[in-house]
Amino acid sequence: MQFRLEKRREPSQFMLYATPVAAVALTMIVGAIIFSLIGYDGLGAVREIFLTPLTNAYKWQDLGVKAAPLIIIGVGLSIAYRANVWNIGAEGQYIMGGLAGTGIALLTYGMTGWWVLPLMVLAGVLGGMAYAAIPALLKTRLNVNEILTSLMLTYASVQLIYYLIRAPWKDPMGMGFPQTRLFSEAARLPTIIPGTIVHLGVPIAIVVGLVAWFIMTKSVFGYRMRVVGAAPHAARYGGFSEHKTIWLALLVSGALAGLAGVLEVAGPFQRMVPGFPTNYGFTAIIVAFLGRLNPLGVIIAGIVLAITFVGGEVAQTTIGLPNAATGIFQAMMLFFLLAGDILIKYRVRRVVPQPQAGAA
Amino acid sequence: MPYRLELTGITKRFPGVLANDNVTFAVKPGEIHALLGENGAGKSTLVKMIYGIMQPDAGEIRWDGQPVTVSNPKAARRLGIGMVFQHFSLFEALTVLENIALGMDAKIPARELEARIREVMTQYGLLLDPHRTVATLSVGERQRIEIVRALLLDPKLLIMDEPTSVLTPQEVEQLFEVLRKLAAQGCSILYISHKLHEIKALCDTATILRGGKLVDTCDPRQETSRSLAEKMIGAGLRDITRAEGRSIGQAKLVVSHLSTQKAGHFDVPVDDVSFTVRTGEIFGVAGVAGNGQNALLDALSGEIRSDKDAISIDGQGLGMLDTTGRRKRGLCAVPEERNGHAAVGDFSLSDNSVLTARDRLGMVVMGLINSGAAKTYTGKVIADFAVKALGPASTAGSLSGGNLQKYIMGREILQKPSVLVVSQPTWGVDAGAAAAIHQALVDLAAAGSAIVVISQDLDELRALCDTLAVINMGRLSPARPTKEVSVEEIGLLMGGVHGATEVHDAIPA
Amino acid sequence: MDLTLAIIVTVVGASTPILIAALGELVVERSGVLNLGVEGMMLIGAIAGFVVQFHTGNPYLALLSGAAAGTAASLIFGFLTLSLSANQTATGLALTIFGTGFSALAGSSYSARPVTLMQPFLPVEIAAHPIGKVLFGYSFPIYFAFAMVVVIWYFLHKTRAGLILRAVGENDQSAHSIGYSVIGVRYLAVMFGGAMAGIAGACFPLLLTPQWAERMTAGRGWIAVALVVFASWKPFRLLAGAYLFGLVMTMELYAKAGGGVLSVIPSELWAALPYLATIVVLVLISLRRDASTNAPACLGKPFLPTN
Repeated sequence: MQFRLEKRREPSQFMLYATPVAAVALTMIVGAIIFSLIGYDGLGAVREIFLTPLTNAYKWQDLGVKAAPLIIIGVGLSIAYRANVWNIGAEGQYIMGGLAGTGIALLTYGMTGWWVLPLMVLAGVLGGMAYAAIPALLKTRLNVNEILTSLMLTYASVQLIYYLIRAPWKDPMGMGFPQTRLFSEAARLPTIIPGTIVHLGVPIAIVVGLVAWFIMTKSVFGYRMRVVGAAPHAARYGGFSEHKTIWLALLVSGALAGLAGVLEVAGPFQRMVPGFPTNYGFTAIIVAFLGRLNPLGVIIAGIVLAITFVGGEVAQTTIGLPNAATGIFQAMMLFFLLAGDILIKYRVRRVVPQPQAGAA
Repeated sequence: MPYRLELTGITKRFPGVLANDNVTFAVKPGEIHALLGENGAGKSTLVKMIYGIMQPDAGEIRWDGQPVTVSNPKAARRLGIGMVFQHFSLFEALTVLENIALGMDAKIPARELEARIREVMTQYGLLLDPHRTVATLSVGERQRIEIVRALLLDPKLLIMDEPTSVLTPQEVEQLFEVLRKLAAQGCSILYISHKLHEIKALCDTATILRGGKLVDTCDPRQETSRSLAEKMIGAGLRDITRAEGRSIGQAKLVVSHLSTQKAGHFDVPVDDVSFTVRTGEIFGVAGVAGNGQNALLDALSGEIRSDKDAISIDGQGLGMLDTTGRRKRGLCAVPEERNGHAAVGDFSLSDNSVLTARDRLGMVVMGLINSGAAKTYTGKVIADFAVKALGPASTAGSLSGGNLQKYIMGREILQKPSVLVVSQPTWGVDAGAAAAIHQALVDLAAAGSAIVVISQDLDELRALCDTLAVINMGRLSPARPTKEVSVEEIGLLMGGVHGATEVHDAIPA
Repeated sequence: MDLTLAIIVTVVGASTPILIAALGELVVERSGVLNLGVEGMMLIGAIAGFVVQFHTGNPYLALLSGAAAGTAASLIFGFLTLSLSANQTATGLALTIFGTGFSALAGSSYSARPVTLMQPFLPVEIAAHPIGKVLFGYSFPIYFAFAMVVVIWYFLHKTRAGLILRAVGENDQSAHSIGYSVIGVRYLAVMFGGAMAGIAGACFPLLLTPQWAERMTAGRGWIAVALVVFASWKPFRLLAGAYLFGLVMTMELYAKAGGGVLSVIPSELWAALPYLATIVVLVLISLRRDASTNAPACLGKPFLPTN
């Protein structure tokens, strides 16, 4: 029995949305098998990672808090990737957003007033944008590959955190720990549900996703991103400059990564610490793809990935699964998704061997 | 004496199409055999099966009387079948020698191969420097590499797929000499074309395909061009009706001293081009591919910007505007490449209408797209231009080449541009669609628009245009009324500078 | 003298893994495939090499298992991008994410367990003299890397197989129509790239830090990808580039030792230097007029035969 790929006349809308679901399901099945084979409780791992965070209501607030930055960054990346602009340095832009917000929080230390937080957010957005502007400038002026520059800048930004919190921004009362002082009240993101850790960033993430969806499907801006990514030559013919699009894609994705950064530092962290880079920027790449580069899909995908993060921690304590297992599950999801992509434009046909009689 | 090649009942099916339906014909040794048919008639599919690129679903291939299975091109070459493709399978960054070595199945030391190449080149008068990089060669020279490559294998059958579509009339004559010499030595030639006068001049036998079926096998020298054309197209030929009373008015589009920068390694820029197109006039630009046509179209459409006054409409300079700005001033353009340039294959036709018609037809309100307006307009294009599509929601990529071209032409023409620039309006389009497109262009001109048609098809230009100019190496010849120029004159202009460089670069024998 | 010697030895050690990984990626890219998973394959090679070295103490076996693990990882990439024509950029990123997770999981039980470093390749006597040490005092991978520069250059430009590989990267449709197996050639190239990245990864525990650390390749795989661009896809330029980077990466060492102004520079800046230098190098190379003309024409584009 043999299989053959046959091009579809029209790309399958069903497959476009079915493959991400199938990718998650396959990851659970294959993950259970693989982890059983290498000596872990495979079924337990899948149960703890994918189901416990959903069934245990106490974990829901964690889900929201983890999903928010993933969604905000993922939405930005989905817009950039639509335009074929490969910003993979969102982690660096997230860090710069966090650092810019921290800078404002430290400058305004001890002050009170409603304006502190908006100012921090503005600084964070601008920080992420500015950091993404470097690859944009190099790409449009000198045609330097944005993948490499944005990624290299991420590595550099981590060192910048270390430098700042070890020297100029170090907490004077911190007993030598490399971290900044705890932000004052006005610089902390308020929680929206009393008694939980759910902060203002969670509804912001949902709003970001919805607004982005509207813009991407209904506006000329969204059209520009889609057409430049699908056919750059046609885009130029249609009057959309490629350089302007690269700038927009990087600035928007950088701004959103910066926003996520400042919300994280003002929310869950409330100070800058060496552990601030939590790989949200890289995981958001998976979120963007799993969400089919569609902002609404990104909201769902962000929640799915948040489940694996929360579940990974659960599995670590309950069945002793190393934390790294979460990364493997996440990568597997992306692998299965990419493998399934071919089904959108092709269908698999079974080739029945024909009787050879009569054929030369 | 057995036939060199016999095909019996060859059938090939693709999803939704029967590309070859029970095709049977035979080629004698030393015969120049034409395979005649329109684009889409199934010629290419048929020869791909002979050359082993595809396998027939049913039928038999006999070679020198023996049944054979040609499982891949290598097997074909082992039998003695050589092929020169329409789109050359050349590697631009590699040298002539490396390119030929890649086409050889036997491992021959570079020095020995070079000696054999030089031998074949002198024998057939195909002069080339083996150490030049392909990227630096003209189209005619590139074709020589393909021919030399095929000849090195001492083929008993040489397949030529549309070999003259990129050559000047003079280069065509040189090619025919080579082919006649080969045939005289006993090599059979399967010559694929839809150009009737060439087939009448060159071939001993013609097999005619239409819609995948064999229509007739005849002696083309005994036929008239009209009778061959009718066999090829089927129903009686339709002539373009030149709108009566079409009057050519005042200067509309004025191009003066337009030059572009060399963009890429393989780009031919336009160099100091000037011409004027008047209202109601169809202005033709002839020329061999790769002589600056793409740069000319891009410069006119606005993809490449220029000095303000290099391009003007009604005396208003618009050289500094981008495509959107020019469309607002009434200048629309259709580039040669349909999928990926004039249209986005993955987008619906409706979304493709937004690409170029959004401003002229008010599809954008405060930065938001009015998708209803786009859909209505697309529906009108589909209806008025008889585009075979399920509706405005079909993706552009799902349409056949001819239907996509009709949609694209319709999308621009229904915007009623005062100036329309089109490149290769009927390339790869079947005769019916081509006639419809030509008619639409004539009607648009009759309504008072100025039209520029860039094409490599001389027959098309002569039938359609009021005025003709020839582009060669980025320079445009002075414009002449079509009625006053002969094919020979155009041919010389098309080849002009080219021939000189080739002689200069040729290797000493 | 001792300091100079130490510097040279460190530079050579730091350059070697980058060079080996970049040589592999160069061959992959010449075939028209862009595998951005080098970092992930290196990490997988690193953990495989570490585990084998830890259990057997045989560094050659460790290098071999690094190569095998890298090849296996590259096959995931190959299957997705070549057999299923998945997006190469996305798949490469996925491979790096996977390699990071996989190596961390596999290495989780080996933390703080040292292995022995690989010993010099040639007899100790030769390495006794300082000059002898500079020239002959290194372990096998250093010489392997140099040899591969020559081998790959020879392969690409002097052999028929190399010509076919370049042809496939230059124009896949043409290569297909002449009758070459584009997918087959690319699979072989991708596997070779995987093996080289795996060896490069195994060099980390064998040459640099004799223990397991998560993400121990620290972005060197990405620098290798950047170096291929810097080298305009030419093996000998790659050699120069890798050593230039080795120098940059070890600069902190002699800056600290030299004292003066340089030692005032915060260590974080030194740590960031290789990444910033990569950007500078990419900018410099882009300023050259022929910057991208040498790039394989089909780089990163999926191949689907048009008929």
